[in-house]
Amino acid sequence: MDLSRVTFLTLAALATVSAFRVVTASKIMHAALWLGFTFLMVAGVFLTMGAEFLAAAQVLIYVGAVTTIILFGIMLSEAAEVRGGRDPVAPTTPKGPAIIRRFILPIVATLAFAAIMIFVYSQAPWPDASAAPAGDTVRLLGSALFTDYVVPFELAAVLLLVALVGAIAIAVRDDHKEEQG
Amino acid sequence: MDTVGLILIRGAIVIVVLLTAFAMMTVIERKMLGYFQLRLGPNRTGPWGLLQAVADGVKFIVKEDIIPRDADRLVFRLAPIISVFTALAAWSVIPVGPPIEVGGRPVPLSIADPPGGVLVVLAFGALSVYGVSLAGWASQSKYALLGSLRASAQLISYELSMGLSLLGVIMLAGSLRLGDIVAAQDRLPFLFLQPLGFIIFFISAVAEASRIPFDLPEAETELVAGYHTEYSGMRYAMFAMAEYIHMITVSSMVTLLYLGGWNGPAFLPPVAWFGLKVALLLFVFIWMRASLPRFRYDRLMDFGWKVMLPLAIVNLLVTAVAAALWA
Repeated sequence: MDLSRVTFLTLAALATVSAFRVVTASKIMHAALWLGFTFLMVAGVFLTMGAEFLAAAQVLIYVGAVTTIILFGIMLSEAAEVRGGRDPVAPTTPKGPAIIRRFILPIVATLAFAAIMIFVYSQAPWPDASAAPAGDTVRLLGSALFTDYVVPFELAAVLLLVALVGAIAIAVRDDHKEEQG
Repeated sequence: MDTVGLILIRGAIVIVVLLTAFAMMTVIERKMLGYFQLRLGPNRTGPWGLLQAVADGVKFIVKEDIIPRDADRLVFRLAPIISVFTALAAWSVIPVGPPIEVGGRPVPLSIADPPGGVLVVLAFGALSVYGVSLAGWASQSKYALLGSLRASAQLISYELSMGLSLLGVIMLAGSLRLGDIVAAQDRLPFLFLQPLGFIIFFISAVAEASRIPFDLPEAETELVAGYHTEYSGMRYAMFAMAEYIHMITVSSMVTLLYLGGWNGPAFLPPVAWFGLKVALLLFVFIWMRASLPRFRYDRLMDFGWKVMLPLAIVNLLVTAVAAALWA
């Protein structure tokens, strides 16, 4: 195996393991950190495939912004188990409806997701590996976004704007209530 | 193509140079502050007090490494490592000069110069929030937590105007590769074409480096020492190391993006021009520390969101229109 293949497999394995740790970590802060690490490893996978811009954007947005905001939220929350320090309450053995919630539903969801992914992978028309653009991917990406994909691009921008306005509306309403009493 | 060995050698050189520069910066900063305040500064260890860095280093190493009882031990240990890593990693794409000939083959003066170099530096800058916020959270102390909350808010706010002001330069240069951006300033540094962008970028850079007047994360009069209150010994030194290397990084970025990088009259080699420009900016950093008071926290936020961000967007719009008309 050549070096790039070893790198890819290492990064992919690390990403999978840390994604698993996100759901098994006992402290929510550690879960958030594992999430950030997963994003970082996925950025590494993008790099091994020559998608340099995607990797940088992944680090900037997912690791640098999204996970930071999650950490911010955790740090601002008051709950004792969230604030960390001592170990949280030991997990109890679930009984009754909790068995369905903790064991059966996750398995069903996993199987359904796996089925969808396998279906997509088997049906999708994959582009020829040799057709992968070499060189200045940033330039190619930019011109593709503003020519072939301009409508989806603008739609995504409008969607983000709507989300922004909505967030401001929610925040302002809460403020107002507080002032009233 | 570069072999792995050559890249490792360049990486080792970069790390040694940066760590030496960090050690020297701590002494030079204290000397400069001394002169600004009509004192002598450190002058007992070695000639001109230059060995003070060595003395400090030894002291940090032999000091006891204390971890608070309630601290999250894993995250507490991780935070300074993340800080130093992100500070050093940004240097993997920063070129200090044009490629030189060594033994008949060209050797680039950077570890790598990928097409998206500017983005890589920004990405590692975004990661530096982690070291600070995790240090404050893991310490489980009021001052540290307040300091790290301030730091996270400040870094996120100023990152935005930094990125937006930088877009003007990218538009003019037509490339994200740092080498190309310097080459585009062959005749005229972007400082003259992007004066507003330069000011916004420099102010954001000071804020990103958490230096006075933006050093609220570690405001000693309010927060003891901010996010690293609970750290001692070498772990504390690692935060200082990250801060100083970050300062050198942002100075290099200002040099590369606005001051023409290594371009300069031919009587000095390009690398010397680069070093001189970075040294000048570092002096400005120290100068500001000696002369400016600290922002109040709400004003810092207001300034970031209500002044810097709109100005950066105006700068971007004007540059885009001008570039479109001119091209």
